[in-house]
Amino acid sequence: MQFFTPTPTLVGLRRSLKAVGKFARELFSRPPTAAGTLTVLFFLFLAVFGPQIAPYPDPNFQKNPSQEAPTLNLREFRLGDYPFGTDRLGRDVFSRVILGTRSIFRAAGLGTLIAVIVGTFVGLFIGYQGAWVDEIVGRIIDAILAIPALLLALVIIGIIRNLNFEPNSWQSEVADNAVLIVIAIVYAPIVARVVRSATLEIKSRQFVEAAQIRGESPLYIIFREIFPSVIPALVVEGALRFSYAIFLVASLGFLGFGARPPSPDWGLMVSENRGGLYALTPWALEYPAGAIALLVIGVNLMSDGIKRTVQKSG
Amino acid sequence: MDKEILLHVENLNVSYRVNGGWLRAVRDFHAQIRRGDICGIVGESGSGKSTVATAIIGYLSDNGRIEKGSSIRFSGEELTTKGRLAMQSLWGTQIKLVPQNPAAALNPSIKVGEQLAEIARYHLGMNRHDARKAAVEMFGKVQLADPESVVFRYPHELSGGMQQRVVIAMALITRPRLLILDEPTTGLDVTTEAVILDLIRDLIDDMQAAALYITHNLGVVAQVCDQVIVMYAGEIMADGSVKKVFIEPIHPYTIGLLNSIPKLGQSKRQGALQSIEGSPPSLKNPPKGCVFAQRCPAAVEKCYTEKPELEHTHEGRLVRCHRWQEIHSGVLDIIPETQADVEQVERLERESLLKVENMTKHFGVRRSLMEVIQGKKPAPIRAVDGVNFGVQKGRTLGLVGESGSGKTTLSRLIIGLTERTDGEIELMKIKIRSNVRERSADVLAQMQMIFQNPQNSLNPYLTVGQQIRRPLMKLAKMKHDEAAQEVYRLLRAVNLQDDYASRFPGELSGGEKQRVAIARAFASNPELIICDEPVSALDVSVQAAVLNLLARLQEDRDTAYIFISHDLAVVGYLADYIAVMYLGQLFEVGYGHDLFEPPYHPYTEALISAIPVPDPSHVSQRIRLQGDIPSPRSLPTGCRFHTRCPRKIGAICETEDPPWRDDGEGHFIRCHIPLEDLQAMQQQLVMAEASS
Amino acid sequence: MGRFMARRLAFFLVTLWMTSVMIFLLVRVLPGDVARVILGRDASETQVEAKREELGLNDPLFVQYFTWITDFVRGDWGESFAFRGQDIRELVTQRLVNSARLGLISMLIAIPVSITLGVIAGLTEGKLPDNLISVFSLSVVSLPEFVTGLFLINTVALKWADNPIAEKIGWFPSSSAVRADASFRDALPSLWLPAIAATLVLLAYIARLTRAGVIEEKKSEYVRTAVLKGLPYPVVIFKHILRNALLPTVTVIAISTGWLISGLVVIEFVFGYPGLGSLLITAIERRDLPMIQAVVMVTVSVILIANFVADLLYAALNPRITLN
Repeated sequence: MQFFTPTPTLVGLRRSLKAVGKFARELFSRPPTAAGTLTVLFFLFLAVFGPQIAPYPDPNFQKNPSQEAPTLNLREFRLGDYPFGTDRLGRDVFSRVILGTRSIFRAAGLGTLIAVIVGTFVGLFIGYQGAWVDEIVGRIIDAILAIPALLLALVIIGIIRNLNFEPNSWQSEVADNAVLIVIAIVYAPIVARVVRSATLEIKSRQFVEAAQIRGESPLYIIFREIFPSVIPALVVEGALRFSYAIFLVASLGFLGFGARPPSPDWGLMVSENRGGLYALTPWALEYPAGAIALLVIGVNLMSDGIKRTVQKSG
Repeated sequence: MDKEILLHVENLNVSYRVNGGWLRAVRDFHAQIRRGDICGIVGESGSGKSTVATAIIGYLSDNGRIEKGSSIRFSGEELTTKGRLAMQSLWGTQIKLVPQNPAAALNPSIKVGEQLAEIARYHLGMNRHDARKAAVEMFGKVQLADPESVVFRYPHELSGGMQQRVVIAMALITRPRLLILDEPTTGLDVTTEAVILDLIRDLIDDMQAAALYITHNLGVVAQVCDQVIVMYAGEIMADGSVKKVFIEPIHPYTIGLLNSIPKLGQSKRQGALQSIEGSPPSLKNPPKGCVFAQRCPAAVEKCYTEKPELEHTHEGRLVRCHRWQEIHSGVLDIIPETQADVEQVERLERESLLKVENMTKHFGVRRSLMEVIQGKKPAPIRAVDGVNFGVQKGRTLGLVGESGSGKTTLSRLIIGLTERTDGEIELMKIKIRSNVRERSADVLAQMQMIFQNPQNSLNPYLTVGQQIRRPLMKLAKMKHDEAAQEVYRLLRAVNLQDDYASRFPGELSGGEKQRVAIARAFASNPELIICDEPVSALDVSVQAAVLNLLARLQEDRDTAYIFISHDLAVVGYLADYIAVMYLGQLFEVGYGHDLFEPPYHPYTEALISAIPVPDPSHVSQRIRLQGDIPSPRSLPTGCRFHTRCPRKIGAICETEDPPWRDDGEGHFIRCHIPLEDLQAMQQQLVMAEASS
Repeated sequence: MGRFMARRLAFFLVTLWMTSVMIFLLVRVLPGDVARVILGRDASETQVEAKREELGLNDPLFVQYFTWITDFVRGDWGESFAFRGQDIRELVTQRLVNSARLGLISMLIAIPVSITLGVIAGLTEGKLPDNLISVFSLSVVSLPEFVTGLFLINTVALKWADNPIAEKIGWFPSSSAVRADASFRDALPSLWLPAIAATLVLLAYIARLTRAGVIEEKKSEYVRTAVLKGLPYPVVIFKHILRNALLPTVTVIAISTGWLISGLVVIEFVFGYPGLGSLLITAIERRDLPMIQAVVMVTVSVILIANFVADLLYAALNPRITLN
């Protein structure tokens, strides 16, 4: 089976590079979008090189284990050993915030990516096939979406966590990555729905009918004729989902259903340092909370910009 | 000629801000409109005609601006400097716009009566009661049936023709002095268009208002307007009285336009249409010389370097051309005699290629809960109902009908994109399956399709070459290298250069896209191509070139066409044999020219009579169809046309299906009236028209 | 209209049924051994077997589903494990009322404010007010509920803690841990802060969608018609633009109930408020499966009912649907 006609690949490659370049230029031409995109790239950089950058690559490093009292930080950035101060256990907040980026990007980014891939396949398929397949899968998607994302995530994680698994079995792998998997489960139906409606619209265009009357297979039509036209909607939706996913990961961490202590997870750090109603170490809570807000603002600005760019060129 | 000048536009320049730069969409526009006159602005898409309209009314979009030095005077008052509040009262009472798309121009959630009455309240100082009464009265004036109940309806409950009447009523209720009509009949069927045009003409005469009528349709201008301005690429090319401009055109563009539309009854055998090659210049870098030079058959060197001025001729017309005097005096003849390279014998019988028998499509209607409980089955929508016809090898069958006639459904049934309810299709004596997915590659290769909208029929993410290569490999079973060569041959056959193969559809004009679609349809060298309104989305000048191309390719490759169009003149030009469709059934079938002479079916007669002819001396027979096409959900009994038939003879039309009547020479009419009687009645009208 | 209602009702019931199957699968099948999950890892095999028998876990799955759903519809939701054998239905309805108080207050604040903001932003698209509102809603959208919640506690509640007047009125206590069966009057003071946090959840969401609706309608041709009728600007806005632009907002508000409920889970947790959300978290933490099932079912029903009502309301307000 040959789905892709062997076109002069160099021409194709150059054209797609040009398209990507043009897209990037459009994206950076608006200051808010550029700021958002740079913020996201900055955090991505931290996620990749966090252990190399953080002053204390071990998130649980306590300089002086006997000294459990926190270093006071008057809510201002100070150069020195602990720029953001330390938490109640004497751990460096600065390092932990940096190291936390990786877990956020892993769960939210990878989870969204899986949701986008699965949702795209499902959406393309049911949208193109239509009829009863669409009817049934559509109803299932509706049923899943009737449960609020956070509730669904809480229930699934709550249950997966309580299962007894052999250590190092694939089930325990699943349990360890529960948040990532939950993001994929919760958002795949939404992506599928978006892709489905885009597919329905494109299916009725005449170039698809032209492909049908020359006897193309459904797979060729779905991937070669329809899929490229779905990409703009998909990019917009993917960016939006990513920002919600960050939110969800942080909330799960805060509620105690995300990463387990002592991981440097932002949501978890906020909840750990809450210490009842009066936070003893407010800075240890404010920096990770600020990091979450900053990243989400960045992703939102970026996805807003992507949406504008896509709508403009589409 | 001494009527008061109501609108005086001078040096109008309008620009739009696009991607940071200003593009000048209208340059040096001039116009004078007198009371009681209708002035047409005619031009193709991108000519700037709609921009002129919005500039005059003072409602340019946010990225548009009127340049300094422009002047628009409305009964002596300068409009360009007026503020929004001052304009508001003018908009309310004096200057009115009739927009193009009435469905979008009406507020979907307010009853149409209120949408009209609010004008009367705000601008005529009426109270609620009087305003409502005035609305009913106005609806009566625009000939809406049952105006008392129409006022309580929402826009979506009205047909397109009725919505347009509502919009016209909204424009006329304050008895404005200036009306601007922006393609008011473009979305309507010809029969409805004809009625609306009559109405507009009468109402404007009655009110002695001045009107600016914007349209791309030369026929409409000839029928409705007194003056005409021909625009091209943002500039006036010619202006003058309709009689002068149409009968003695002196600008090459006007001449080209007039000759590019097929006349009613004109056939491909009488010669190729005169097309205007190329496409309009881009506004980004307008040419230094004449904007039309690149497409002008009379262009000389001067035309490329020096911009012609808008000159006054002694007859009081304006023209922008370096060579108008030569054209005027007859020294320069720019209409080339074209030889028709087509088979000259019309009644040539050839072997049968396609036979369609009892073709039927009933769309099921979803049952409501009550109907399920009661066990009722709602009547299906009978889109196509028992149609029989054949197509011969290398010939063209034209299929005409208004929207809702089922012609597009019929074409989709034949190609297999819609599954038939009943009936048989035989292609080269072999029965073929209903669904295109079940047909073999051999059958697919023999039957291809050209779609209506070139915007939609090419995949925006694949290059032209990829899209033509695919059917070559898939259906013509060519190897890759062979196919690559064939792509270039096909492109050349549709008059496109080789480098188009690597372009994306987004980089092509509408006409070029349609050429690519044609090349793609011809790739598998099919016996039959179904053309579903292939030129209706194109500008007239481009349309002619595509029609010529289709005629030439048919001759070269001996391919048969089923050519579908709502435009009788276009069908008449290309078709050897024509079928007229109404509400899912055929009502008349005959050789091309038979359709344009009595006897014809009363429906065909009405269609012909409704077509606006681009000849101001033409007097229409004035046969007008009343009402709208009935819903295919509840079809009229007996003859389906009886509800609108101007020649209805009595109860028999309502109860009995009419018989097919045959003149023995291949002309069939489905009517209760015998052919001789039809001929006698219709001949009379034609005579009357000729003598007037 | 009758036909439309029947269709929507059928759709509502089918979705509700499918969701119940989903919840059943999630809570009863996904864990594998339900009895073991409930009793924990240390329970003996005989205890687990007894529990299985008690819960009917040895029956075939569809029998289990059928028993559960019929009991649920009849109102017999069983006893809670986590809350010492309390009747689940009583507990859930009590908490539902508490959550509804919180949700309704925040909706009452959020809807008028957000629609006003959205309309202003839409009408002044690209100008200063729009930009200010956009920046505001973007920052609100970007703050997780627990961050805003903690922020409110740390600033408002703790600042006012020493203020004698505030203390006297009893407004803005830093903890909303009222008694679960408190009356509305008693609970009201502790409702304000969580309600403000919940309001922020809705505010930006509704405002952004309203803005988009207004901008779309503003560019429509019928608005041009209205302007060219020479109608005064306020008439164009209120009669022609808003009537159509706010129609979808009805649906948006319904859809945002799901959104709100998610937010409430976190907010109730932060403030220690005894609502449905904090009940769910406790139930999950203590592996109280029947309770989880009940809470999720109730939540989903609320959301689906809200959507159903919104559909009907939309149809009633939109002439284009009424007569179909």
